[in-house]
Amino acid sequence: MGCNQFEEMISDYIDGALETGEHTMIERHLADCESCRALRDDLLQLVHFSRHLPEHTPSNAVWTAIQTQVKAERRVGLRQRVARWMARLEERNFSLSLPQLAAGALALILVAVVLSVVLRRETGQSLETASVTGASAINKNLLSYPDLKQIEERISQLESSVEQRKASWTLDLRQAFERNLAYVNQSLIECRQQINGHPEDKVSEELMLNAYREKVRLLEGFEAF
Amino acid sequence: MTVTAESGYNATDIELARAAALGDAAAFEKLYQQHHRRVYSLCLRMLGNSSQAEDLAQEVFLQVFRKIGSFRGDSAFTTWLHRLTVNQVLMHFRKRGVKLEHTSEEGDFTNVVETPLQSTRRISLVDRMTLEKAISQLPPGYRTVFVLHDVEGYEHEEIGSILGISIGTSKSQLHKARMRLRELILKKNE
Repeated sequence: MGCNQFEEMISDYIDGALETGEHTMIERHLADCESCRALRDDLLQLVHFSRHLPEHTPSNAVWTAIQTQVKAERRVGLRQRVARWMARLEERNFSLSLPQLAAGALALILVAVVLSVVLRRETGQSLETASVTGASAINKNLLSYPDLKQIEERISQLESSVEQRKASWTLDLRQAFERNLAYVNQSLIECRQQINGHPEDKVSEELMLNAYREKVRLLEGFEAF
Repeated sequence: MTVTAESGYNATDIELARAAALGDAAAFEKLYQQHHRRVYSLCLRMLGNSSQAEDLAQEVFLQVFRKIGSFRGDSAFTTWLHRLTVNQVLMHFRKRGVKLEHTSEEGDFTNVVETPLQSTRRISLVDRMTLEKAISQLPPGYRTVFVLHDVEGYEHEEIGSILGISIGTSKSQLHKARMRLRELILKKNE
């Protein structure tokens, strides 16, 4: 083996990617060639150093720019969502006002929740005696959901934010919000009661999570006004 | 209280990602704090330019913000983020018409001959800054494969898949990158 051939194979050699025969040939050549041993040593050290390079830190301007852009996109996203929602409603050409339609949509959700709960009761799928009852037990049960804790925290943030914005709302907007919120809260109450009686009722748990998510969407929508 | 927990609880990346997807700004910031150095370092090494690297790191985290809802936790968050970063850099190269597979400088190496003692002494003098500087001087095609393989630990199969090149080309680019780096470092220390 000559030095040129060795040089072609050196990377595979130091990466351990050669077959046994080739590896043996390389080792023989290295035993006789100082120049190629130097090349091998250099590349081994180069690869070693490269695996342990330190991390670098960008300037604070990067995070500032990200924050600014994220806030702008959140604002635009919500406005677009509301605009799309209103456009869809207008296309339907209903004679109802927007708050009435919003209330109607949420009422449908509430009806679906209640119907599901009633059907579960009727079919007797959750008739086994609840082993755990009481408010503290419910809370313990509900808090076992990893998503729920985050949603509750998010709701808490949004409620504070919406509360601050209410002062600038028109009477109509405020009434629409209160009405919609009442529907969602009613759904949550129904779900909690059902889970209270039947702690293992997975369907009600899922419905409750959906109602929570609906509440987040409602608060996010009104936070933009 | 948010999932980032002022109470001292250290949320996992997946918990933070879920919270960020729900709009938790503090969780998103925590993800940035935990990963921005790694993302920026990868951008810096692939681009060889700190200003462009900052722009790209910024774009990566904006993509994280926009796509975090699609992160399902099937892979580690770091893997997902890493791949997102590499894709952003490659998109940056494509926009600028940078060819990764071929370079006019291929095969253009000076044959550096020296004794083993000289070599060992010289390369041992390579501090990290010298190596970083040399990496930044590599042609983009060499640099990309070198950073992905020798710095980030990707296999040639993965590199081939990411860059749309054959395994043989990836190996060839890596070999040439290493040889060029050695040459640059030795020249610097002369």
